[in-house]
Amino acid sequence: MYLSSKMVLFNLLAKGVILSMFFISAPFLFNHFALKNTDLQLDEKKEQVLSIIKREGMSQFFSEEDTLSGFGSYNILKEEYILLEKIQDPEPLDTIYNRDRILENERVPYRVRAYMFSFQEDYFLLEIGRSLGTIKDTENIIYKILLVTFWFFLMMTFFLDIAFNKRLIEPFRQIIHQKLSQIDEPQQFPYQPVKTSTIDFQLLDSSISEMMKRIQKSFNQERVFISHASHELKTPISVLQSQIESFFSEENLSDKDLDRLMEMQSTVQKFKKTVNSLLLLSKVNNAQFLKSETVDIALILEDLFEEWESVAEDKSIDIRLLTSESFQLKATNISLCTIMLQNVLINAIKYTPSGGSIEMSGTPCNLGYRISIKDTGPGISPELMEQVKTGIVFLKDAKVDRSGFGLQIIFKIALYLGIEIEMDSGEHGTEFNFCFHE
Amino acid sequence: MRVLIVEDEKPLAKEIVFFLKENEWVCDWAANFLEASENIAVNPYDFILLDLGLPDGNGMDLLDEINDHQKNSLVIILTARSEVSDKIEALEKGADDYLPKPFSLLELQARMQAILRRKSGWNNEQMVVGEFTLDTHNSVVIHKGERVHLTKKEFRLLYFLLVHKNRVINRFQLAEHLWGDHVEDEYQSNFINVHIKNIRKKLGEYASVDWLETIRGIGYRIQL
Repeated sequence: MYLSSKMVLFNLLAKGVILSMFFISAPFLFNHFALKNTDLQLDEKKEQVLSIIKREGMSQFFSEEDTLSGFGSYNILKEEYILLEKIQDPEPLDTIYNRDRILENERVPYRVRAYMFSFQEDYFLLEIGRSLGTIKDTENIIYKILLVTFWFFLMMTFFLDIAFNKRLIEPFRQIIHQKLSQIDEPQQFPYQPVKTSTIDFQLLDSSISEMMKRIQKSFNQERVFISHASHELKTPISVLQSQIESFFSEENLSDKDLDRLMEMQSTVQKFKKTVNSLLLLSKVNNAQFLKSETVDIALILEDLFEEWESVAEDKSIDIRLLTSESFQLKATNISLCTIMLQNVLINAIKYTPSGGSIEMSGTPCNLGYRISIKDTGPGISPELMEQVKTGIVFLKDAKVDRSGFGLQIIFKIALYLGIEIEMDSGEHGTEFNFCFHE
Repeated sequence: MRVLIVEDEKPLAKEIVFFLKENEWVCDWAANFLEASENIAVNPYDFILLDLGLPDGNGMDLLDEINDHQKNSLVIILTARSEVSDKIEALEKGADDYLPKPFSLLELQARMQAILRRKSGWNNEQMVVGEFTLDTHNSVVIHKGERVHLTKKEFRLLYFLLVHKNRVINRFQLAEHLWGDHVEDEYQSNFINVHIKNIRKKLGEYASVDWLETIRGIGYRIQL
């Protein structure tokens, strides 16, 4: 997952958790505060009623003839009521409680403020009630308004986070894409700094550029070294080879002389191939091959099959080729592709015993084109495979693979040309799979 | 034909001169940049074999002088340097071929002949061996008007032997011509033997191939 996505997701989750906690506890909090508020309002009303009685007497509530029947009044929706009655056995009372009242055969819960007081030597009980249903309705309305507001807030901040993170992370994304993931060789590295005001990204950018300068310097030194080493090694081999060839062309050479010359030629050839293989590996590592050609990879496979079919058949190996359609591989190097596939095929022919089989196939796959070369040989030992994967050039099992460079060359070329390579090897044989990306 | 060999390594230059003289070329040798420059300015050459790494200068610069003074000369670059940029620059500057060291003298001769044929417009050259004709332009073998099917490698092998007819070509030289330097030497002789066997089998169905001789333990020869 991308860093920006993680940041947005974290923000969303953090806000979501906080809001969820709020909404879970909200009914209890609302209820508590609504009751507190109602109690305050009831207290205010009590004070208002007492103030009226003090100012105007009981005449507002009782007629002079009948002071025993009490006074009671509900508003039109029965949301509030006031009750004032004279009591005979006074007990001090100043409290708030919930009480159900039966109104028109319906039980209605009220929050009630009860207060006993004396007026002109009489004792009165004052009750002011407010419907709990009304309080609950208010709570629900506030809860819904908050729910919508917070949901809107969450969505707004989510989209703002996405936009802001995208903008914030953009320089980092540019560094990753332009300066790391798209760089196959040091020469491709763009040194112009990425535009950003974030100091962390500026530091990262300059550090990568500095590192790349050092890599490029050593890369160039290696290139010069390879060139000199190539010259110094190949020139004497060239002299030796020419001299031996001149001897060959001489007349009256005895069989013994010819045998000796062949041995010399064989030694020179081994030396030459070792030097060439080492230089090939170095040059591939040093990106000294152009990747500018377009090739039909299925055609290479067909050519190799035609070339090596007779050699395999001479060894009584059943060799088959299955190719479904052509595939144009762009920006590659034909020679390296051919060397890579040819090395695999030659190894298969070398190690597959008489009566065995080799299957070559080329088929389209999701990513591009897949080439498989499968043999029924004895397989490659896990120890040797480990050495190949860790990049050891001089393989320990050199008795089997003579120079030991063959496998290394296959893997290095695949890496350089961006070809995915998978190898499965065991007692049943060896299978190489190459995936050529479109 | 006259050839200038620009090569600072004396033993190698000596072998090339000796080999080419045997093949009836007239040879001049220049061991450094200055000598080469003088020769290029004074003498007309059909071929120039040019080493890039000279002690007193870069052989690449001589290509400019060749372009000025030897417009009709054919140039093959002989170099032990390995940078791909050298090859591109040399070919862009007008070199006709690029042969990396170490090379076989037979390969050099084959390349020289191929360039001569190409430049002279001998694209339809036909070479005769026994009752067979090699059409070098289309890379096919013909027997009395009928095409004999050979694979590309088999044709190249036959052609190389024919170019160097009456000379023993050992297995290493044949393998190098076919596959370059990236095939394991231990098995090369086997691979060559199989291809020769196939050539004999395929051509033998039409006519005798006793001109294709096996030199036991060494290689093969087309004796005409």
